[in-house]
Amino acid sequence: MKREGWFAPYVSSYFWRFLLIVLLGALTVFSASSLMYTSGFLISKASIPPENILMIYVPIVGVRAFGTSRAVIHYVERLVGHDTILRILSQMRQRLYRILEPQALFLSSRFRTGDILGMLADDIEYLQNVYLRTVFPAVISLIIYAAAVIAIGTFDVRFALLVGLYILVLVAVLPLVSLLVTQKRQREIKQARNRLYQKLTDAVLGMSDWMISGRQGQFVETYEADEQAVARTDAALRRWARIRMFLGQSVIGLGVLSMIWWAGGEFAEGAIPGTLIAAFVLVVFPVADAFLPVSEAIEKIPQYRNSLERLAGVAEGLTEKATGGTNGGAMPDGGESDRSGGDDTPPGLPDAAVTSRQLAHILIRGVGYRYAKEAEWSVRDLTLDIPQGKKIAIIGRSGAGKSTLLKLIQGALAPTAGAVKINGRDAASYGDRIPSIISVLNQRPHLFDTTVANNIRLGDPEASEEQIARAGALAKLGDLIAALPAGYDTRVREAGQRFSGGERQRIALARILLQNTPVVLLDEPTVGLDPRTERELLSTIFAAMEGKTLIWVTHHLVGAERMDEVIFMENGRVEMRGTHAELLASEPRYRRLYELDRPGYAAQRGSAAR
Amino acid sequence: MDRNLLGYKGVRPVFLAVGFLTLVQSLSILLLAKSLAEVISALFAGEPLKEQWGTALLFLLAFLARHACGLLMSSVSYRFAEKTGSAMRRKMMDRLFRLGPRMAGDQGTGTLVTLVLEGVTKFRTYLELIIPRMVAMSVTPVLLLVYVYTQDRMSGIILTLTMPIIIVFMILIGMTARKQMDRQLESYRTLSNHFVDSLRGLETLKFLGRSKDHSQAIAEVSDRYRSATMRTLRVAFLSSFALDFFTMLSVASVAVSLGLRLVNGDMTLVTGLTILILAPEYFLPVRLVGADFHATLDGKEAGEAMKSIIDREPLKAVALENAALSSPETSGGDEARPEGRRKQVGAHASAGTPDRSASGGGKSAAESASALPESVFAWNNSSTLSLQGISVRHEEGGPSSLEEIRLEFTGTGKIGIIGESGAGKSTLIDVLAGFLHPGGGSITVNGCKVSSLTDDAWRRQTSYIPQRPYIFSGTLADNVRFYYPEASLDDVSRAVAAAGLSPLTASLPGGLDERIGGGGRSLSGGQEQRVALARALLSSRPIMLLDEPTAHLDIETEYELKETMLPLFEDKLVFLATHRLHWMADMDHIIVMKQGRVAEVGTHQELLERKGTYYELVEAQLEGIH
Repeated sequence: MKREGWFAPYVSSYFWRFLLIVLLGALTVFSASSLMYTSGFLISKASIPPENILMIYVPIVGVRAFGTSRAVIHYVERLVGHDTILRILSQMRQRLYRILEPQALFLSSRFRTGDILGMLADDIEYLQNVYLRTVFPAVISLIIYAAAVIAIGTFDVRFALLVGLYILVLVAVLPLVSLLVTQKRQREIKQARNRLYQKLTDAVLGMSDWMISGRQGQFVETYEADEQAVARTDAALRRWARIRMFLGQSVIGLGVLSMIWWAGGEFAEGAIPGTLIAAFVLVVFPVADAFLPVSEAIEKIPQYRNSLERLAGVAEGLTEKATGGTNGGAMPDGGESDRSGGDDTPPGLPDAAVTSRQLAHILIRGVGYRYAKEAEWSVRDLTLDIPQGKKIAIIGRSGAGKSTLLKLIQGALAPTAGAVKINGRDAASYGDRIPSIISVLNQRPHLFDTTVANNIRLGDPEASEEQIARAGALAKLGDLIAALPAGYDTRVREAGQRFSGGERQRIALARILLQNTPVVLLDEPTVGLDPRTERELLSTIFAAMEGKTLIWVTHHLVGAERMDEVIFMENGRVEMRGTHAELLASEPRYRRLYELDRPGYAAQRGSAAR
Repeated sequence: MDRNLLGYKGVRPVFLAVGFLTLVQSLSILLLAKSLAEVISALFAGEPLKEQWGTALLFLLAFLARHACGLLMSSVSYRFAEKTGSAMRRKMMDRLFRLGPRMAGDQGTGTLVTLVLEGVTKFRTYLELIIPRMVAMSVTPVLLLVYVYTQDRMSGIILTLTMPIIIVFMILIGMTARKQMDRQLESYRTLSNHFVDSLRGLETLKFLGRSKDHSQAIAEVSDRYRSATMRTLRVAFLSSFALDFFTMLSVASVAVSLGLRLVNGDMTLVTGLTILILAPEYFLPVRLVGADFHATLDGKEAGEAMKSIIDREPLKAVALENAALSSPETSGGDEARPEGRRKQVGAHASAGTPDRSASGGGKSAAESASALPESVFAWNNSSTLSLQGISVRHEEGGPSSLEEIRLEFTGTGKIGIIGESGAGKSTLIDVLAGFLHPGGGSITVNGCKVSSLTDDAWRRQTSYIPQRPYIFSGTLADNVRFYYPEASLDDVSRAVAAAGLSPLTASLPGGLDERIGGGGRSLSGGQEQRVALARALLSSRPIMLLDEPTAHLDIETEYELKETMLPLFEDKLVFLATHRLHWMADMDHIIVMKQGRVAEVGTHQELLERKGTYYELVEAQLEGIH
């Protein structure tokens, strides 16, 4: 069932193409075999002085035709094969995307390393080998098998059975034995290599620690020892591959001998003309070539299993989470919006999204949230009134509940207790409409590998060049763009590598300015920037966000004085709240922290007072 | 084909063995063709079957001998490839851990790890294939052709003519395909990365409300990718088409010409059959080379990438001037044992720092002459360290990261290094930690003038806490005792307590034995810093280097961490590089960096009164946001 999910549907939807590929593959073998068959026949025929040269004219034409056709058919087969596989890959990609898309906001917590996504993409690439390297060769060999046995069967059923037995060894016995022999070792190697990968990545990332510890030689020793162990298993596998090849060839050698014996006997009895002896014997070699690769094709099967399981695991894991969530009343958006497709404006509120373009009043009343029934509360007893245009800063340690709060406001999570309302409606009920009300600038906004303009345009696909330039100017991108070789049409390179952290944030800022929503969530956008860049970026953001509601999760207190309210969260609760001035006056703890961001502030105030 | 190939250890016996086996194999092929032809023509002539068993057995033996040779050859070359590959990897690993984190950062962790794991495998495949293929190409066709000539000149001529045609066509088509690939390489890369790019940016797309529609974009791009790939494949597959086409055509021509001459009675059936059987064998080595072309090319490139790392000479710290060490006559004796990797003095020039490499060849004799005694680097309360005109330039011709740094340090104390990003703070820390060999200037430690601090003995004096300390996958205790694996559990607990990790340890079900890092429990940024701190404390090394330890943390965590750290800095020489100004008030000395130079040195008060660069930095932060 699991495996069918990523395999069977494509076989049925591309059935005719698959058939064509397999037939072309069989024809390729047929041409090569026929070349040797007709050649053998031709030479034998020619060696008996014929009454007429025309007698050998037909085989001559046959030889020439088969000689040229093999290459042509094989070429076509490969092209059709790759084209089909690429079509299938395209569908698989879309499918994986559609599985992941509804859960986009939870991916980063589910898969801690961003690389699992790259791995899934690789898995799909890898699956093309299932068809090209395993399914097609195996099916083609079966067709040839049947054809060969039937062809000989027309002469002699008993010998056909013997041939059938020989080929059975090549297409079934050897591959199955091979699978049994290698399966365990292959798994070991795969696991061992994964461990090596982990170990080495660890060591390279922690290289400075290894160097400082002076133990790098020790690491290289243990690493090499592990590699040696893998090498030993690998050598065993290779030894078996060589032996298997030799066994296969021995079967072919015996097959040739049997063919000689049979053809000679038949000729002696007058059952076949002598010209066919050479033809029959010579045809064994090219036909056998079709069977030898089967063992290797079958041996690969365990290797695909990993990829298939990982893909199936993702699909299952996510649906599970989605349904589990709905049961707990947590995630109304996941499964539902999928079914209702693109148009999910709830009935009775036709213009909600349109009106919200201008204004949004967010009301959080007694909200609590926990991820599972028994779990700790991530957020509890939270009440916040955020009318249009209010600016609040949220600060707290990691795990204080800030991200959960943001997800609640975005409607990605439905509160376990209390209510989050936007313009009087549950935030969660907006579903896919939420980006028209709330935009987000987070720590690492993704820049796509295209031009700067296209990246900004993602905020509003209908935006004109001028609108983009205006958004860019608001985000103070002017100087940066002017310095680029092609201005806004310069490519950003993979993940925006062309730009520094601060520059990337400005491009992302232009993008959300174009998105033009009444509410903007800032999720620690300045982490990793140096103080000057941080200050400059923040002042650009604040200037550009005039009139918008701003909910700003921050790790520093720079700019806190520009906020209407500062909220300190701890263990899911609000620990302190108030305006900057209030907190500064009443909370020594706040003063202490503020001092970290503004060293000398106390001294300055002191001297000003004096 | 590859000049490096002959340089690998033990390659000659392998060539000899493979050459011998190939010869035996080619002879077996001749024998099997001849015996098979004889059996068939005898049967055809009506001779009884049972008289043919002898020849038929001969055929079987020759056939098995041929494949046994193949088996042995692949076994011999596999063993060689495995040995050479492992040796390469080992050398590369040694070199990697000598070149240090800078180089790993430049190359990218992922690239390096892939090179070690996949690259070595590819390289091994290359070595394994290339030797038998090369030998087979040069032995088998020649031998078979000579034999065919002795039997039938016409067939020999056909076979001879086909070979250059095949090779020329393959080269031409290969070049066309490559040109086409190169032409659309950029768009190709973008198309093929589009899907991963989309997955990585899924969250952003969702925020923008574009994630639903994007499925359509994936379909379109996948489709464009398919057309682009097919355009390339149409050309690329042509080369194997040409190979197929001409070999098959050649075999067919041989068969037809044989047939025509048989009709005229110029030839016997045995000869005709033998040549017919030999014709495909004649082309087999070329076809195998064609089939393995990409695998060998990949492997060759991987091998070159590894070699380029191995050839990088890590610059070692050497004594430049010391009465006890610099007597010239010692050089002869020490030069007799240059380390193995010093073999290629010429390769020295490819090392990271251009300034030195010019004189590298000449200097190396003097360099190897002066091994540094451990005691030089030992640090105590009265030790001194001074930098004289240190400069670092990461790329040749690029801007200097450090220029003419002159600084002096004695005994213990807390030294803050401040400046904006790009001012050279991290580079200075890297030089002080011995990760980086400066391009110019010298360093004097305890009166001994050395070229750099890149020496294990110096590193044993230091502990290092970067912005994001790396947590190895292992237990908490193992992570803490990373510098000293033999440390007792008591010592570990003490360090853990001092670093303020006790609450964490108490909350973990496994306590100190809880697995952390990759595959284990993940820690917050503040906790990671504390683990690194415990690690440094346990080592009780006299010098501590911190590179931007708190900038990425939320302000409360930063505050608490600072409170924990400050008392632990006592009685050590501490270098703390940061752009967070608040640390500076607690430092004994402050080095203000600006554009790779030392702008000012002094205490917090002195620098404020001076109203220079430091004052400007403080003022800028006080201004807040406008």
